[in-house]
Amino acid sequence: MSAEKQSSLVSSLHKRFLKDPWPYYVGAVMLGVLNIAILAASGKAWGVSGVFHYWGAIIADFLGASPETWAFFKNPKNLALLNKGFWGNPGSVRNFAIIIGALLASLLAGQFKIKMIKSWRQVAAAALGGLFMGYGAMTALGCNIGALFSGTASMSLHGWVFLCFIFIGGAVGSKLLVKFFMK
Amino acid sequence: MAEKELNCLGEACPIPLVKAQKAIKEIEVGDLLIVQIDHSCAMKNLPEWAREAKHNVETEETGEGQWEVFIEKTN
Repeated sequence: MSAEKQSSLVSSLHKRFLKDPWPYYVGAVMLGVLNIAILAASGKAWGVSGVFHYWGAIIADFLGASPETWAFFKNPKNLALLNKGFWGNPGSVRNFAIIIGALLASLLAGQFKIKMIKSWRQVAAAALGGLFMGYGAMTALGCNIGALFSGTASMSLHGWVFLCFIFIGGAVGSKLLVKFFMK
Repeated sequence: MAEKELNCLGEACPIPLVKAQKAIKEIEVGDLLIVQIDHSCAMKNLPEWAREAKHNVETEETGEGQWEVFIEKTN
């Protein structure tokens, strides 16, 4: 194979696998397979936001509060996991790995870009959205991963209930976004 | 044939799509709408919407993580 042919093969493979978005069904199959791997390795279905209880408690503890007196940590299992610290919690490691993986994907695609903050309105919208999502995930005891994805995958009714309400929330949120945060 | 540029750099989804849907109503058939984006998910949903609406669509990577979507209004 000539050097020229070889480099065009490399660039077409790079475009296909690293640059262009993968079809949704490939992502769906991979998520399914990886969720099975997580379930097999840790005995629990995949979740992302459940770990935030522990991160919140670690921060609160650092600031002088006593999270071990909170109702959630009265459960000895939860307390034992809290006492293992940030890196002792497998969920923390997974969440950290998600960020590294996403960074790697955008670097490999040559699409890494530090974006400008466009307006304070955008910052306010992002902060407000984050607060709502965090509060919602904590009160629902799960986000679109732990409650929706793992919930529906395990044929539990709560995942489908979550799905209905995430649509309602999404519709209301989009209307608010267009009304208040788009000039 | 007129051209209209829509700068959506720094805008996250779904704002570029909503803005483009609004902008396409304001131009004539045959005119060109050029949307500048730097949010990779807009690179998926913008062309998808425009092709579904039967407009002519072309995309170009203008920099690292930055694209221009050319939409020619056909209807």
